Amino acid sequence: MTEFLQFTLGGISFGMIYAAIGLSLVLIWRGTRILNYSQGAMAMLTTYIALTVITRTGSYWVGFFTALAAGLVLGALIERLVIRPVENKPPLNAVVVTIGLLVFLEGIAGIFYGGQYRSFPTAFSVTGLHAGSVPLGISRNDLFVAAAVLAAALALAALFRYTSAGLRLRAAAFNAFAARLLGVRVGRVLTLGWALAGLIGALAGLLVSPNTFLYPSSMDSIFVLGFTAAVIGGLDSPVGAIVGGLILGVTLNYAGGYLGSNLVPLFGLAALITVLMIRPSGLFSASHSRQV
Amino acid sequence: MTSPAALAVEHVVAGYGGVLALQDVSITASPGTITAVLGANGAGKTTLLATISGFVRPRQGRIRLDETDLARRRPEEIVRAGVGHVPEGQAVITELTVEENLRVGALRRSGRADRSRVLADTYRRFPMLAKARNRSAGTLSGGERQILVIARALMAGPRVLLLDEPSLGLAPKIVTQVMDLILRLRDETGLTVVLVEQNARSALAIADRGVVLNVGRVVVTEDAAALAADEALRRHYLGF
Amino acid sequence: MTLLRHLAAAIVAGALIWAASVQLNAFRDYQLAEIAVYVVAIAGLSVLIGLSGQISLGNGAFMAIGAYAAALLIIHLNWPVWAVFPASAAITAVAGGVVGIAAARLSGPYLAGATLLLAVALPSLALQWPSVFGGDQGLSITVTAPARLGATFPLTRWQAWVCSLAALITLVLLANLTRSRVGRNWRAIRDDPVAAALTGLNVGRLRVLAFVVSATCAGLAGAMLAFTTTLVSPGSFTLSLSIALLTGAVLGGLGTLAGAVWGALVVVLVPTYVTDVATSHGLSSGVAANIPIAAYGVVLVLVMVLFPNGIQGGLRRLAGPLIPANLTRFTEPDRHQPASKQAGGLTSPDRRRPVGEHQEEGTK
Repeated sequence: MTEFLQFTLGGISFGMIYAAIGLSLVLIWRGTRILNYSQGAMAMLTTYIALTVITRTGSYWVGFFTALAAGLVLGALIERLVIRPVENKPPLNAVVVTIGLLVFLEGIAGIFYGGQYRSFPTAFSVTGLHAGSVPLGISRNDLFVAAAVLAAALALAALFRYTSAGLRLRAAAFNAFAARLLGVRVGRVLTLGWALAGLIGALAGLLVSPNTFLYPSSMDSIFVLGFTAAVIGGLDSPVGAIVGGLILGVTLNYAGGYLGSNLVPLFGLAALITVLMIRPSGLFSASHSRQV
Repeated sequence: MTSPAALAVEHVVAGYGGVLALQDVSITASPGTITAVLGANGAGKTTLLATISGFVRPRQGRIRLDETDLARRRPEEIVRAGVGHVPEGQAVITELTVEENLRVGALRRSGRADRSRVLADTYRRFPMLAKARNRSAGTLSGGERQILVIARALMAGPRVLLLDEPSLGLAPKIVTQVMDLILRLRDETGLTVVLVEQNARSALAIADRGVVLNVGRVVVTEDAAALAADEALRRHYLGF
Repeated sequence: MTLLRHLAAAIVAGALIWAASVQLNAFRDYQLAEIAVYVVAIAGLSVLIGLSGQISLGNGAFMAIGAYAAALLIIHLNWPVWAVFPASAAITAVAGGVVGIAAARLSGPYLAGATLLLAVALPSLALQWPSVFGGDQGLSITVTAPARLGATFPLTRWQAWVCSLAALITLVLLANLTRSRVGRNWRAIRDDPVAAALTGLNVGRLRVLAFVVSATCAGLAGAMLAFTTTLVSPGSFTLSLSIALLTGAVLGGLGTLAGAVWGALVVVLVPTYVTDVATSHGLSSGVAANIPIAAYGVVLVLVMVLFPNGIQGGLRRLAGPLIPANLTRFTEPDRHQPASKQAGGLTSPDRRRPVGEHQEEGTK
């Protein structure tokens, strides 16, 4: 029974990371109908930046917030320079461009930081917490991970609902044409969307790298699972990304714990196919049934 | 209340996709008047509005709002200069509520106080919208949506309002309501209106001037009442 | 008759390759075999994306299936090469059918996601049953040139011959397929699935068929890869492989078989060339190995911006009259179409206007 509890709680912690990546993907998808395959690689790069700052300054938090800022800047730069030319082209162009970006960022990281696995510090202690004498299987850091992602998601929700920047983002995402007619600078708004996605991705990178170690392709599988979380939840739904992430995290942790870690990606695939068979556009999607 | 503005389209040549929809078009809309732009499908009416509001770059010609030349500027600058464009087909943002739609319209204004004031004014003028403020815009009927997009365009405080076929798809009774609304706007706020319409009869009933486009050229510019009275012209170009 | 034309072209190409292979050293022969492998895999993917309008980021996984099947057949049953290749391809075809059926209802990013996960998940299966699949180390096979050719016949040349022959046969078959009724039907469901369904085409079945063909090619390529590298391990089938296939298909030009050749040449030759140049300039091997990776990324981005139709399309465009760029459009492309419409939104060399964009009929 304790094992089950441990797997569940541990799964929630990992699930929040997938949720964060999923959330940034949803953010970009809603605004530009583009799937950013380089989201994980962007997070990897900002985490390297954090590591450099942490080593230089000796402070985790300085590195932490530097990475978040770098995520904002990186997202904005990428949208402005690389994505803008393909925003109104067929979807495959954006697929290739973001994959090209993924490859480029991993190559750059390899050149400047080398390929060796680096350890990345945690924000808080990793000793297991106990409820009385029952080991919970999670640590203070795990709680921080969950809280951080939740806080980011809530902040984002508040931004969308209560600020005019958020209104611009939503208007441009739902109907860019009408928004332009009303004077909204849709281009700038899209840049903001990508910047925010970069920020959340950077957060995910910081939170997961202690577990996976940091190397150029360390975010590959995290990205794939975050993508899966977003698809399970429905690409249009931020709430879906969070729920999808939690479902995925917990399910995969059970699979890994009870059946062995090699089968984890396969279970992810099974979960994805199951959901898409039932609801081809994801659990929380609002889209109508498709014709073909 | 905004000061009335004159809109002058001068010898504009424009088109897209390799087709020149407008070939030397000149139209003057005097301040505080309603100018109806009429003509058959394919005559260039929608392209005219698109060119004025900046979505199509004119190859030649000028578009003057009072003294400022707006041609070749970007749409957001043109909106800021005071041109509101209500497109054909009711570009209501269905995923947002009625109030959120209106708020998007006010985004070009600076200052929360200003925006709240305009919103309150709008609700006073359009009590129907006030009642539906928290409903999703997708639940509105066709006529209600048309009112919403007009109100939304007005939130930005335009001095010139471009309307593209507001009567499209609406029942005759609703068409009358919409046309009355446009007339009231002109009377109460001195708005300069350019009204593109297929429904020439309803448009001429409220317009001051009538312009007929045919295959990208202006063939008639006339006082609206005179145009409506000229049977030969009406029959030839407007089909009634 | 097109079949004869294709055969003639293949025979000429085969003769040229044979002549070249005799001149080349062992390493170049090895590369020739590698290129043949990628030509087959990329051609299959290019047909899937370019002709039927579906995307797959997981063809590396199909290559893994073909490779492991080939290795197991050789190790346990000692089958000769000419039996192993078709058998591996057939086994992978079945897998392709299964995936295709599961994926037929998906499109756009949902399909991409499922295939992406497949690419990552499948190789890890090999680690689960190490007794069968050799675990991390993988399976190694022994390949020898037939005795008839003499004891001193270089193995790499034999490998180059076998792989080139397999590639040529595949290209001829694919060329006939793309010009056949099936090919035309694929294009129809790519361009407008709803209209195609209304004319009586079974869209689902055609989609699955495209997946099967693409998987078969990938499986054959995997078997060819096993034959060439004589080692099959999970490490050879990472996500990077699927990305390389996509790169090759796009750079070469989607839906064209000549494009598959270009793409294979780029994917195989450019990395080693760039690394060589980098190391000769004194850069450490670690850095030098990453330069082609970074350069790849840059090229992909630039190509999509400058040459949306890939090399083959770019050549065609340079040869033909230049079409003036579109002016600003009043009606922006409709981004809010249901996902099924987006499935067809992929460029191909023979379309001027990409699907998914909204054209106003005439003007007002």
